[in-house]
Amino acid sequence: MPRRALRRLVLIIPTLLGVASLVFAFLHLVPGDPVEIMLGESAAPADVAALRHDLGLDRPLPAQYARFLARAARGDLGQSIAFRAPVAEVIADRYPATLELAGTAFLLALALAVPLGVVAAARAGSMLDRLTRLGSLAGVCLPSFWLGPLLILAFSIGLGWLPVSGRGGLAHLVLPAVTLALGMVGVLVRLVRASMLVALGEDYVRTARAKGAPGWRVVGGHALRNALMPVTTVAGLQAGALLAGAIITETIFAWPGLGRLIVEAISARDYPLVQGCVLAIGVSYVGVNLVTDLVYHAIDPRLRDAE
Amino acid sequence: MSSTRGRWYQSGAKVVNQRARCAVALALILGGSAGCQDGQLPPGAFVVALASEPQSLDPRFGTDANSARLADLLHVGLTRPDMAARRVPELAASWEFVNATTVVFRLRSQFHFADGRPVTAADVQATYAAVLDPALASPKRMSLAMISRIEAPDPATVVMRLREPFAPFLDATGLGILPADRAHEPGEVAVGAGPFRLLSATRGERLVLAPNPGYPGGPPHLDPLVVRIVPDEVVRTLELYRGGVHLTEDSPQPEMLDWLGSRPDLTVERTPGTSFDYLALNLRDPRLADRRVREAIAASLDRESLLRFVLGGAGRPASGLLAPEHWAYAPARVPRHDPKRARRLLDRAGYRDPDGPGPLPRFRLVYKTSTQPGARRLAETIQAELATVGIALDVRTYEWGTLYADVRSGNFQVCALAWVGVGDPDLYYLAFDSTMQPPAGYNRGGYANPVMDRLTRRGRQLLDPAGRRAVYARVQRRAAHDLPVVPLWWEDRLVVHTRRLRGFEPAPDGNLRSLATTWME
Repeated sequence: MPRRALRRLVLIIPTLLGVASLVFAFLHLVPGDPVEIMLGESAAPADVAALRHDLGLDRPLPAQYARFLARAARGDLGQSIAFRAPVAEVIADRYPATLELAGTAFLLALALAVPLGVVAAARAGSMLDRLTRLGSLAGVCLPSFWLGPLLILAFSIGLGWLPVSGRGGLAHLVLPAVTLALGMVGVLVRLVRASMLVALGEDYVRTARAKGAPGWRVVGGHALRNALMPVTTVAGLQAGALLAGAIITETIFAWPGLGRLIVEAISARDYPLVQGCVLAIGVSYVGVNLVTDLVYHAIDPRLRDAE
Repeated sequence: MSSTRGRWYQSGAKVVNQRARCAVALALILGGSAGCQDGQLPPGAFVVALASEPQSLDPRFGTDANSARLADLLHVGLTRPDMAARRVPELAASWEFVNATTVVFRLRSQFHFADGRPVTAADVQATYAAVLDPALASPKRMSLAMISRIEAPDPATVVMRLREPFAPFLDATGLGILPADRAHEPGEVAVGAGPFRLLSATRGERLVLAPNPGYPGGPPHLDPLVVRIVPDEVVRTLELYRGGVHLTEDSPQPEMLDWLGSRPDLTVERTPGTSFDYLALNLRDPRLADRRVREAIAASLDRESLLRFVLGGAGRPASGLLAPEHWAYAPARVPRHDPKRARRLLDRAGYRDPDGPGPLPRFRLVYKTSTQPGARRLAETIQAELATVGIALDVRTYEWGTLYADVRSGNFQVCALAWVGVGDPDLYYLAFDSTMQPPAGYNRGGYANPVMDRLTRRGRQLLDPAGRRAVYARVQRRAAHDLPVVPLWWEDRLVVHTRRLRGFEPAPDGNLRSLATTWME
């Protein structure tokens, strides 16, 4: 296990290199000049040239790329053009908000999806199963730009239980986390149900039942453990996507996370900040993949034995 | 990192650290943020919602509208504009043109920075010198480029010497003043002598301001003043409804305004604004170079209907850049809606309709616009109106940075743009002088007329206000005739606020200075 984790960690380097290269290339293909956006239209050509020189934007693209990589290797992501502050500092300001929202939404989704999926599979064909499938379909179909305002209207305006937007205590977290989680719940419920149905039809489950094991133990102890493998894969991917910043949800709920920051940085053609954000997202994805691998090992002893 | 930026970010960083701890707790235990209360609004706070974060709170760097709004609350300049865009005293009690190139400002002694130090001529000198220093890379440097020297002979006197007579010079004297010892710092400096001081700033989320105790006439009553960033228009409206926000000036959509106006605890205030919306035309295109075609486009638009549909009637059909409240405004012809005349003009220009009322257009143009819902709505209505006279518009929407780059490089035929907060009429020189084509100025459509060149250049050299007014009256009539851009309307300023707020006066340019003198019942 430690060797596998180490191998994963080493793989971060080429992954991030690839991500950084693609972002660098795409950003420089998009029209728009950060210096012109920064200095405005009335800036003197000499000032534009001077600032472009200061920022290193007058160098050939390969030289800019090499400079960016050399700095990144030293942990220096450069200076944000729009915020006039170190990129790492700007990201560090926003990342906790994303982590808070994504973490809560992820845990909430798991807490809802796994029991619902298990119960739906265990009672396949029942009214509960049908309602769960219908609910999960709705969760997948409802876009966050519609669901978010709807939840605000119901729980903030109608009932007055929760604040409309912003970041604060637990109350502020509920609606954006639920908005994000519901889409994920829809996907996971269907997956858990399908995996459980397969697992419940396996021979070892029939054997356990024949030996007189109680129903809850057959479902929870035998079938669920095996059914969780594909669920872990999808949940890992979803967690990575959440950490990349939920742009729409963050915008609706005025949540100061990474998603909004990236949009602002792209609008301002703030190349260093966009690159920094994408690197942060890349690291998040790799981290989530690593955790997913570790969870595989914890769930399935065959993987441990194989190593 | 400079000490200033360190200080600016420190407050945020502390918050971040606490939040990071909360976030870790959250990741471990659901509901872990129950104890994370640092994001709660201070009790008794007056909350203003802005749609986007100010680019900078430092008057040397901020150029966007929200930076200007915040700068008005945190800093003072030598002068400020009044409702007619005339410069009136602020830090400077008075000023005098000793000769055509020397201006002497006498300062008031009552202004103090948030740390208690009085504002002196040395602070003014240092701030202007810092902006003029190329090493600082201030986007405002060019607006002060006419200054050759600044002197501070005594603590209450500032002498500015200009390179040549330059009438619009006073428009550049609204620059917020920083303490002399910090004016050259490369990072953000948010210490000013305005009515409020910055208590804390959390990037992307909120700014908390408190009254500046040293502000002349007594500190403001709103304590604290919280500026929240709420990007979504619907959510800003709902926050107002719920009472989480007490004032917003980023205008909600017309249908929401009606709904908000019906609330007993909210007031919708509407005041004539100075923002000028127009259709930019690229005169390098041979069809648009023909004045008859431009006039036909102008005559095909029913501004009243467009205004009702796009802005809910919150605007006035425009004749040019300067609104009627502006000191230099002169009446000029507002293009009249006349589709028949538009068709005749196009026929005369040689663009006959190939199939009469049939589907084939006389010609096609590309209309570029941003992805904002309001901009798209405007594009669709203009497309429909031009179709009635046989001009087909292909509407293409772009992300703002891409659209801006295309406009700057002249890669457009038609696009809708706006001038926000028009100040000195010298804008006519920057927008219509033949030498002011990008990258030198704002003449994006490539308009060139020797008469306009002569008039706009004369307007920036004349120091006599009456003489300038006469020159700009001719400029406005010339622009209304030549139609280098097609005027649409002057947008009204719409402010929605709680009825408990007293004494608030909306400003035509959208500034929030009035918050310094308002109070909550």
